[in-house]
Amino acid sequence: MTGGSGARPKVHFEDVSKAFDQRGGTLSVLEHIELTIFEGELVCLLGPSGCGKSTLLNICGGFERPTRGRVTIDGEEVDGPSSQRVFVFQEYGIFPWASVWDNIVLGIRHLSKAEQHRIVAETIELVGLEGFEKAYPMELSGGMKQRVEVARALAVSPDVIYMDEPFGALDSLTRLSMRSELIRIWQEKQQTILFVTHDVDESIQLADRIVVLSARPGRIREVVEVGLSHPRDLGSPEYGRIKNRLYELLGVSHSV
Amino acid sequence: MGRGRYFVRSVVLPVGVTVLGLLGWHLACVVAQAEVFPDPYATWLAFGELVDSQRIWGDIIASLFRVTWGFLLAAAVGIPLGLVVGWNTLAFSALNPIIQGLRPISPIAWIPIAILWFGIGDGAGIYLIFLASFFPITVGTMAAVRNISLVHQRSAWNFDLRGLELFRWVVLPAAMPQIITSLRIALGVAWLVIVAAEMVGMDSGLGYLINDARNAGSRYDLVVATMIVIGLIGIVLDLLIRRLERFDEVKWGYVER
Ligand SMILES: Nc1ncnc2c1ncn2[C@@H]1O[C@H](COP(=O)(O)OP(=O)(O)OP(=O)(O)O)[C@@H](O)[C@H]1O
Ligand SMILES: [Mg+2]
Repeated sequence: MTGGSGARPKVHFEDVSKAFDQRGGTLSVLEHIELTIFEGELVCLLGPSGCGKSTLLNICGGFERPTRGRVTIDGEEVDGPSSQRVFVFQEYGIFPWASVWDNIVLGIRHLSKAEQHRIVAETIELVGLEGFEKAYPMELSGGMKQRVEVARALAVSPDVIYMDEPFGALDSLTRLSMRSELIRIWQEKQQTILFVTHDVDESIQLADRIVVLSARPGRIREVVEVGLSHPRDLGSPEYGRIKNRLYELLGVSHSV
Repeated sequence: MGRGRYFVRSVVLPVGVTVLGLLGWHLACVVAQAEVFPDPYATWLAFGELVDSQRIWGDIIASLFRVTWGFLLAAAVGIPLGLVVGWNTLAFSALNPIIQGLRPISPIAWIPIAILWFGIGDGAGIYLIFLASFFPITVGTMAAVRNISLVHQRSAWNFDLRGLELFRWVVLPAAMPQIITSLRIALGVAWLVIVAAEMVGMDSGLGYLINDARNAGSRYDLVVATMIVIGLIGIVLDLLIRRLERFDEVKWGYVER
């Protein structure tokens, strides 16, 4: 395990399957997902569009129920969302009607004013949004909005963070810098992170392990270990080897 | 250059068209040799007469009084009701059919009942304006709540917002831009309805003034002057309520998302 504090199992998927009712029929989206994620691990779920990545994350986050099987966190079955486990959404989940400050304070609104102040200021600094406390989301760039969303999650000091293609809408340069910031924050805070992406490079740059899903119905094709330490050298032979392996698993040829 | 164009577009053009319209009105009166229908100048004189006689102020105040109270009451009942009915599926199933069933009935059709219950006077007027504003506000608020995006609902759920906190942090602010739009629509409808109500079932107000001017010797110059006053007040009311759209908390709702 890299970056983690040990090998204590945190999230456990026990034979999870999910089907949706769609226009009279049923659509099987996930089949027999069996997976353990350890405390402090950063795991990427990688798979083609529509394979059920968001669905898997939503089940884990408590927004959807599995059709079969169950998900446990610290041994307890997930039966709804909890503010100890925070979601960073694929589309912007921050509130456009609230200032940056009010968005971040959301999860810690029950603490004393002094505590709120301390935590929000600290989190704003961590994600590099100093000076924008009073701004509203529509006055921010896409990357800054995503930082607010990450800050909102970090403010509650969650034990698990779910990220559903959080950087998908950003340009490639911003995406790259957001990734290194995420790694920096994660190394400092040591939370367990489940990160959904369909970007092969993103997964190799971030993850301790990469869970590769097949096309729908999503099944686990393989769990690929990334034995590289941060900061990662994107030109190293090991990086290339993992990349080839992932392309192979996804069924696309690497050379064009 | 840019400023010159702006001046032409936003001042010269509308003023020019208005002057042309007045000219056309004048010419039409000359050609048709109208005797009862006033030309622009006669209307202007009638306007002066209304102001001089002090009478118009009382009627403006009477109309605005009814609209203000009817509208505020409708907002005070309609917004909370719309929030609850929009959010709670049980309340929605129970109340939506009644609301949708009463909504298409023109407030004008309620005039006899309003007079039966409240007599001729402010009570009936306020009640009619309440009805006229209540449905746009309630239905608009309901729709706004039902349109709250799934991500925001899930954010609320994830951060454990419930009950009043849920309404304060998410439901009300998320619905606010559309609520303001429905208030605008409701106020516009209220201003249309009050004139009709006063023509039929009241003995003061701008609608009554129109009827009275016609009955007292076919003073169509006063009729038209009053109509123009009604139009101008309508514009002012709309400008006032549009100021609500400027708050930072709702601006996001008026730009494309
Ligand atoms: N609530 C729902 N009702 C019915 N079908 C659904 C529902 N949610 C998802 N699906 C279906 O499940 C499948 C997987 O959806 P999901 O959003 O999990 O994919 P994804 O892997 O996250 O894709 P992407 O990378 O494009 O975000 C899709 O075919 C979708 O149509
Ligand atoms: Mg998805």
